Amino acid sequence: MVESIVHVVDDDESFLMAMSRLLRASGFAARTYSSAREFLGERCADKPGCVVVDLRMPDLGGLDLQAALGHTPYPLPVLFLTGHADTASTVRAMRGGAEDFLEKTAAKEVLLEAVRRALARDQQEREERSHRDELRARFAAISAREREVLCHVLRGRLNKQIAGDLGIHERTVKVHRKSIMTKLSVRSVAALAQLSQEAGLPAYS
Amino acid sequence: MSLVTVVWSMIAAACLTLAAVHLPVWWRNREARATLAFSLAAICTAALAMCELAMLKASTPAAYAEAQRWMNLPVALLLLALAGFAHHYLDAGLRWLAITAISLRLLSLVINFAVGESGNFLHTVSLHAVPLLGEQVSMAVGVRNPWRVIGQFAVFLLMLYFIAASVRAWRRSRRVAAVLVGGSLTFFMVASLARAFVVSWWGGEVPSTVSLFALGVVAVMGYALSADLLRAKQLVVELSEREREADLAADAASLGTWTSDIVRGTLQPSKKLRELFGFASDDRLDAEQLAQRVHVDDRAAFRDRLSQAARRRGEYQSEFRLVLPDGQLRWITALGRVDFDAKGKPLRSRGACIDITARKAAEQEMLRLRQDIAHVGRVSVMGQISAALAHEINQPLGAILRNAEAAALFMQHESPDLQEISAILEDIRKDDQRASAVIDRIRALLRHGEVAMTTLNVRSVLGDVATLLWPDAAARHVALELTVPGDIPAVRGDQVQVQQVLLNLILNGMDSLEGVSDRPRSVTVTARCEGPASVEISVTDSGRGIDARYVGRLFEPFFTTKAKGIGMGLSISRGIIEAHGGRLWAENQAVGATFRFTLPVAS
Repeated sequence: MVESIVHVVDDDESFLMAMSRLLRASGFAARTYSSAREFLGERCADKPGCVVVDLRMPDLGGLDLQAALGHTPYPLPVLFLTGHADTASTVRAMRGGAEDFLEKTAAKEVLLEAVRRALARDQQEREERSHRDELRARFAAISAREREVLCHVLRGRLNKQIAGDLGIHERTVKVHRKSIMTKLSVRSVAALAQLSQEAGLPAYS
Repeated sequence: MSLVTVVWSMIAAACLTLAAVHLPVWWRNREARATLAFSLAAICTAALAMCELAMLKASTPAAYAEAQRWMNLPVALLLLALAGFAHHYLDAGLRWLAITAISLRLLSLVINFAVGESGNFLHTVSLHAVPLLGEQVSMAVGVRNPWRVIGQFAVFLLMLYFIAASVRAWRRSRRVAAVLVGGSLTFFMVASLARAFVVSWWGGEVPSTVSLFALGVVAVMGYALSADLLRAKQLVVELSEREREADLAADAASLGTWTSDIVRGTLQPSKKLRELFGFASDDRLDAEQLAQRVHVDDRAAFRDRLSQAARRRGEYQSEFRLVLPDGQLRWITALGRVDFDAKGKPLRSRGACIDITARKAAEQEMLRLRQDIAHVGRVSVMGQISAALAHEINQPLGAILRNAEAAALFMQHESPDLQEISAILEDIRKDDQRASAVIDRIRALLRHGEVAMTTLNVRSVLGDVATLLWPDAAARHVALELTVPGDIPAVRGDQVQVQQVLLNLILNGMDSLEGVSDRPRSVTVTARCEGPASVEISVTDSGRGIDARYVGRLFEPFFTTKAKGIGMGLSISRGIIEAHGGRLWAENQAVGATFRFTLPVAS
């Protein structure tokens, strides 16, 4: 398994250094960036990890970084740090889907726990994503006619009804069903329904 | 007794009386040279009258010649006295003319005693009897002295001198003196010349009556002097009246006044002055005793002012404190003047003191209030940026915390990396200093105290404020920029107050950017030289600009367009800048607004 990396982004060099030391001492792999631009330029989102970012920075702040990450296919969880947490910026950050929002002077346990949680979430999201990707690859093998048949099957219709609706022979419908089951490697209609839902494709829901 | 004897004797007696009256006047006031000249003229006229009487009554040519020779002495002195009177009384110019005339007349006096029987005759042959006042008096006939023309020329010159003196007095608006004194002197000379021509050149038989004319002149001169005496008396009365008025005014205004004779070292204080300095009304006072009552801290400056005024400037003004015997403190402002004599030596000093304790107290109360308001203003500004401040101070505190936690974890390793740990400790030390620097800055800003004018480095003053506001600017997405040219001179001011003004203006600029998203959001602080004596600092934002309706009211106290503002920021700022001797004003730009203020360059 690839090791998760904690990306620390802060314009305050001293804090950046201290933070990376603590993370290393606590057994995390840490990388530091002195600005949001530097971090975004590295394109590290395809590797597992999380981002610990200072809310207030010149040029691009933490919220900007969060928004920029949101546009990538595999966004890393963002954990905000700030010198002083005022209500307005807290609300904005949480609304943007922040993993957590902590003051820089927060207790070590709270901070490290938040980092662990962020990494775990990233891990989980990554697994879900790869599972879904695999499902999508399987569904991609199904032909257009088979997809139509599948639609009807998932609605709970009988072979005879489907054949009537599509204007094909009942035996042909059976052949399509068998082919679908084989391609998606499922044995029952119940398993087929569950798989379709997991794939998260709206057409099958 | 004959009438001539009576009249001539009375002339002599009258003149001597006048001299006896006026000579003591001159004695007491040596400056009155005109009085001396007048007394001399009166004495000469008396002597002249006696000699002339001897001439008129002479029974032999020899007696006549003797009397005439001696008569020339008082005549010459009389002319000298008259010239002197004209010089001092009419303030005539042309001194050289008078000196020439008198010199010629004295030369003719020498000839009078050296050549022939007198200045008039080389040899008197016989006496003629001519009528005068109803009796027969003597008149000589003989060989005339040819040198007599010198004396006559001297009289002619004197006549010109008197005419000139009269004209001058007339032009100076002393019309009565010009006509009376100048006119009679001139007439006397004209009459003398006329008689000389008639008698000595045409051979006319006119008896000598110089005394009569001289008496007329002396009478006119005496009248003029007496009139002056009367006028002087009147002036004394008016003066004492004025003095009483001045005293009354001084009392009404609670002014303590004094006159001090610098030459004799005496001091005459008014009653009120004694009261002000806390002395009883019968204490003997001198300048030193007054100086002793002045507060120790002010005494040197007080003496300095006095001696400076005595040396050259003449006028002085000074503010100082008195410590009264009961320990009470009193503020005094003194205004004085030193009078000098013609040679520039200080003669006396005069002045007035007034109690300004109440005014001073009010001023100090005002200053205290102003400082209080400024303090409140600063505190409210600090409130506005407190979030930013907490952020700034938590930055180093957070770093310290993380470093300490990391160090603690490193220490748990079996073989701790001591190099790493000592680097951590060094970083902790640096961050600790950083945190305390932030606290110092805040404390300096919140300092509640007196104004301390010092020489300020523009770059560091602006830099400190920018550092303080920078986190706030970042949080509000405002680009805060600083432009300070390298050759900007140092300015004079109170660092805290100047920074307060900058804080105010920059925060206002950032506030005006609220809701602006269609253009860069920036606040730019720029310093530049404005002439050789002042530096202009401007704060420009790209915000909404100043609403035209409010331009005139911007600097009024309690005027605000902000929901949470108290409206004191700009009012206090302007007060501060004006107290620094600068100006603060605002102007709209094509985009946004600029606030500018000036500060004097430190000398």
